[in-house]
Amino acid sequence: MLQQIQQQIKRLKARGATYVDTRWYPYEKTDALTMWNGNLKNAASASESGAGIRVLYKGAWGFSAASDLADLAGLYDQAFDNAAAAAERVSFPVRLAEKDALQAQFASPCQVNPFDVPLAEKVAFLKEMDARLNQEGVFQRISDATFVRKQIIFVDSEGSEIEKTITEVFFTLQVAGLDEQGEMHERKFRLGRRGESRGWESIDREYLSEQAERIVREMNQVRTAPQCPKEERSVILLPGIMYLQTHETIGHALELDRILGYELAYAGGSFVTLEDFGRLRYGSPRLTARADATLPNSPGSFGYDDDGVPAQDNLLIDKGLLVGAITGRQMVEEANSKARRAIFKGSGGANRATAFYRVPIERMTNINIDAGQDGSLDDIIRNTEKGLMVDGDRSWSIGSNREQFHFGTEIGWLVDEGRVTGVVKNSTYKGDTLKFWNSLSAVGDSSTWEVRFIENCGKGQPNQIMQLGHGVPVCRFDHVTIGE
Amino acid sequence: MNERILTTLRALRQSALEKGADATFLIHEENSYLMRFANSAISLNTNEHLVRLEITAYDGKKRASYGMITDLNQLNAMREGLDTAIAMVAHAMPLDYQPTVPVYTETFIDESGYDLALAQLSNAEKLAYFNAAVAHLETDDIRLSGIFSCGANIMAMIGTRSEHLQYFASTDAQVSIVLAHATLKWEVTAEQSAWRKEDLNPAALHRDLALLLDHYHHDTPQQIPLGAYDVVFGPAAIAEMVSFMGWIGFNGGLMKRGFSFLSEEQIGQKIFSDQITLQDDPGRLETYPFKRDFLGLPRRSFSLFEKGIFQAFTWYQDDADEFGAPASGHTVPHTSLSLAGGRQEVATLAELLALPREKDLLYIPFLHYMNIVNPSKALVTGTSRFGALLLKADGSVVVPYNVRLTQSLLEIFGEKVAWASRQTLPYNTSQSYGARNPTAVVVPAFLLVRDLEISHSNSSY
Repeated sequence: MLQQIQQQIKRLKARGATYVDTRWYPYEKTDALTMWNGNLKNAASASESGAGIRVLYKGAWGFSAASDLADLAGLYDQAFDNAAAAAERVSFPVRLAEKDALQAQFASPCQVNPFDVPLAEKVAFLKEMDARLNQEGVFQRISDATFVRKQIIFVDSEGSEIEKTITEVFFTLQVAGLDEQGEMHERKFRLGRRGESRGWESIDREYLSEQAERIVREMNQVRTAPQCPKEERSVILLPGIMYLQTHETIGHALELDRILGYELAYAGGSFVTLEDFGRLRYGSPRLTARADATLPNSPGSFGYDDDGVPAQDNLLIDKGLLVGAITGRQMVEEANSKARRAIFKGSGGANRATAFYRVPIERMTNINIDAGQDGSLDDIIRNTEKGLMVDGDRSWSIGSNREQFHFGTEIGWLVDEGRVTGVVKNSTYKGDTLKFWNSLSAVGDSSTWEVRFIENCGKGQPNQIMQLGHGVPVCRFDHVTIGE
Repeated sequence: MNERILTTLRALRQSALEKGADATFLIHEENSYLMRFANSAISLNTNEHLVRLEITAYDGKKRASYGMITDLNQLNAMREGLDTAIAMVAHAMPLDYQPTVPVYTETFIDESGYDLALAQLSNAEKLAYFNAAVAHLETDDIRLSGIFSCGANIMAMIGTRSEHLQYFASTDAQVSIVLAHATLKWEVTAEQSAWRKEDLNPAALHRDLALLLDHYHHDTPQQIPLGAYDVVFGPAAIAEMVSFMGWIGFNGGLMKRGFSFLSEEQIGQKIFSDQITLQDDPGRLETYPFKRDFLGLPRRSFSLFEKGIFQAFTWYQDDADEFGAPASGHTVPHTSLSLAGGRQEVATLAELLALPREKDLLYIPFLHYMNIVNPSKALVTGTSRFGALLLKADGSVVVPYNVRLTQSLLEIFGEKVAWASRQTLPYNTSQSYGARNPTAVVVPAFLLVRDLEISHSNSSY
């Protein structure tokens, strides 16, 4: 197969293509299990294989993909023809930033292949978790596990040949209950990064049982809690919501294709402009953010992106100052040219596709906030005069340029004069992105730092979902409107 | 009709029968094309040809499924998939209810929503459409984005309990055009949905874009004060909110699980304004309908709200099985929601602007990133996008920066509804995550709702 791919790439180069690459997926396997109120509602396995072909011709992209590889030449020709059609309307001819031709391999860390674990064992584990969640006050209980293993072979016309094997484990527990008024309240736990690998070994019964107990306890506290007040307070974001705040108002805002207007048809743009790099005070000096695809054991760490560029650890915001973006080969060339200065020294290695049948676009890697020096969670609470501590994402809605947001959280704790005074329900907060990050007044130390996973970040057309991570500490922001 | 799909399904059924298995098979074939524009160029031109097979095996109260992206030449691999599904169901846990296994009592073939001309639309024709829709509207600063997404979709199914098949073929197109200012960052849009080529009309999009550009190009945007406004929603916003009702409203399974603002006691009660009549109407070809559900039940017009009175919940078969509800024919990838038109004669943006008004009207065509804050209260939040306008009572028009609306659907579709357009149109709500599943909601062109609170007003784009 590899030889045939090389031959087709050479053939299209001879037809005049500037660049050709292929992502061949020999296999992608998924096991998905959902137990809902004791019923195994979903016991599904899936497999897929195929290839996606990307062709650059006269400054325009064409893409074609198929699961049927019997007519490989036809598939490559279709991609070429699509590029030729796109070349009829070019405003800024696509150029790709330089990179090295690599022959490389990457495997995500995995001790026990989850596909070697019998289905009966997986079902028994879900049943055990379901029993843990089945307590007083719980109206709905869900245990959900997804296991993925895929092999991707990347070949391009610049001499790269990279083989990746990626294993993913995602696990979620969720409970919901009704309050006296019949309103539903939820509490979730999503398994994040623990240890150095994420095969079946990440399914730690003791730890997950503790989390099951905790979310039931907290959901029941919310059920009987008073309504969140509508006022201005400091908000203390625990990692279970801080990851999403980072995702939505730093991660998406700093995707370079959004900044350059390539997502205006759907996902939206960004309030950030090319002039802002090196100049914009994005947050308070306590804020340092990075795109770190080298963090071991996270869905945002993948060895090499789908341009064949090695994973990197790049600063995005340095002590509050905007210095970087989430980038791939095409966008850095265009951004530097349009800005008439070398903002970016090369691709940041963040171009990824969700499947063989989708084209790579800029995606978040691990968008992390560095731990700070404001102590533990207890220290931050102790130093908060009037606050609302929140955790768990319930709803999120963000402006199309990521300029403002509204978040609903699963649980809130009022903090008054340095101590937690009670739980509230229906806790929400909102703000303007720059004002909010500039109001960052405390960043927890490494004891508060956790890596949370996202398994379904959506972007692009055709739509793609992507898996990634966020390493975040506990953070406090001042003068925030809550309860709306 | 794709005979190979039918032949493959019959062969798989035969294999299952030989193995003594109880199983169903669904083949989904898509030919998807997407031309995407950004910065006034074609930023991506793609096509995907994908064949998916979904096998569900049953054993009493146990059920397991195996899905694969494959091709029709791979019958042996598909049979291995069947073996996997059979092996899985042996280890699955019994449900505490009996799942219904589909039994098709007759073969049903529906190609009424398939248009060969649309299926064969060329790259050149798509580009010509876009060029016509934005002719003379682009400048160095005003740049084109958008998509021309089209495709052909086949879904076919068979089970071991009957030799009959179901086969659905459709074509679809979703066009979205955005003109955005490169530095000022405002953006306006016009969209179109079609199931056949003859419904594609670039001139209509050009008309709306030109009108919006006229205001956005010449008027200085303003941060409008917070407070209550009379809001006119455009078709995109209406369709999005109606779609949310299918999730946290009349979905029987989610109601039983507590994720709904409706309850069984409310059937027959007035929930919304008497100007709200909503149906699931598979007779509307522009909604890419399924005229049978995947259990084989005929789908006919199904009343959800009649003059504001709640009529019935919809049930996926699995939910109906679990909760002992009657099957309602809603085991389909999407319904065919249709919100009836009202009395107001206003079909186009130009007509809306020309409408006499006693108070300011805030026109919100599109709600970006809508999400559910509290399902029990139908509380949703979203931000205006794509060409909002403040139509002043004195006849002038102000371009507002985007605003946030955090409101209950019970308020929006309740007694505050002033009028709905008589004219309706299909708004394409397709998402292209995973398998192609074209969807559209028929809605009035405009809906005026009095006194809705704006909770956030941007100071810039």
